[in-house]
Amino acid sequence: MVKFYSSTDTYSYPFPAVTLAYFLRYPNPYSTHVLSTDTISRHYDPVTQRLTTIRLHLKRSKLPSAVLKLIPRSLLSASAGGDTQSYILEKSVVDVREGWMDTESRNLEWTGVLSVVEKQEFRRPQLNEEERVWAGMENAARRHGFISFNSGTKVEVDTGETTEVKSAVTLHSHLGEKWKKRKAAEDSAAGEKEEEQPQKMGFFKSWSTSSLQRSIELIGLKRARRSQPNAKEGMKVVLERMREGGLVAVLEGMRRDREAILGGHPHAFKKGMGKGEDED
Amino acid sequence: MSASLAPECNEVKERYDNCFLKWYSEKFLRGTATSDECEPLFKQYEQCLSKALKARGIDTMLKEAREDNRENDAEHMRPKR
Repeated sequence: MVKFYSSTDTYSYPFPAVTLAYFLRYPNPYSTHVLSTDTISRHYDPVTQRLTTIRLHLKRSKLPSAVLKLIPRSLLSASAGGDTQSYILEKSVVDVREGWMDTESRNLEWTGVLSVVEKQEFRRPQLNEEERVWAGMENAARRHGFISFNSGTKVEVDTGETTEVKSAVTLHSHLGEKWKKRKAAEDSAAGEKEEEQPQKMGFFKSWSTSSLQRSIELIGLKRARRSQPNAKEGMKVVLERMREGGLVAVLEGMRRDREAILGGHPHAFKKGMGKGEDED
Repeated sequence: MSASLAPECNEVKERYDNCFLKWYSEKFLRGTATSDECEPLFKQYEQCLSKALKARGIDTMLKEAREDNRENDAEHMRPKR
């Protein structure tokens, strides 16, 4: 019993610019819940010319009240109010020659309650021969559409090319499974923690484990549906900044967004954007 | 630039990020990269970060997740064509 959500979209920006925006997407005005982003490993293979990156994002999140009602109190001691921070591990591989970027993000904590895996596939559209010739001529006509970082760094954004993206979110609740395993282990090891058992088992008896898991997956699915458009808007803001003023404008925008987050007025800031706060 | 989860690493992270952005846009995206030129800066950043991850107890969680990932990588991260 796994829930699945998927969507496709087209960015009206060329593939290289979209991959750059992916690495630069936090912070943006739609992601004020993202507190930090660190690169924990990066590998460039000169033979295949592929770049593999693993990053760790820290996000502020709030467990939905519906989930709070469903999971046992004993699990929640660390964050009784449902306010929590969560780590997201993101892996990406870019192949610029073949024109694809595959990404995968997953939550690191609470995976026993709900594991959320988001995959995205960015693709440079495959053109046939005739289209390629036309695109080449169009490119030549649009060479002014560079963005520049400093004198040497230019990434084209106005070539008229597009990038396709397929997103898929998989939600899987393992709630109850770990405790069942633990209970079995404890039973055979002459249970020292007997006081805790009756409450937990009583809880899982009152609802069947599978219906609990289904409910939690459904709540996660609703959240994923709500957050997907925000994630796309965030990417578009970054790409728009790139078009307007190159990398300098992207970095300047990031600086302002970061200040707004650190300044502790993310809500006022977000109200201006007319977006909700549960996007993760 | 995005913030590091460890404020003490912000400075070295920013130096690395700047180097990476330049290399990525000038070399990698143009298909002219022969090596990762920012590796020395990454090593410094990594050194700072790994201390911070350890201090926060995130390192073991991360290790487990990456081992999990590695098993799946072969099938999921392969190009489709």
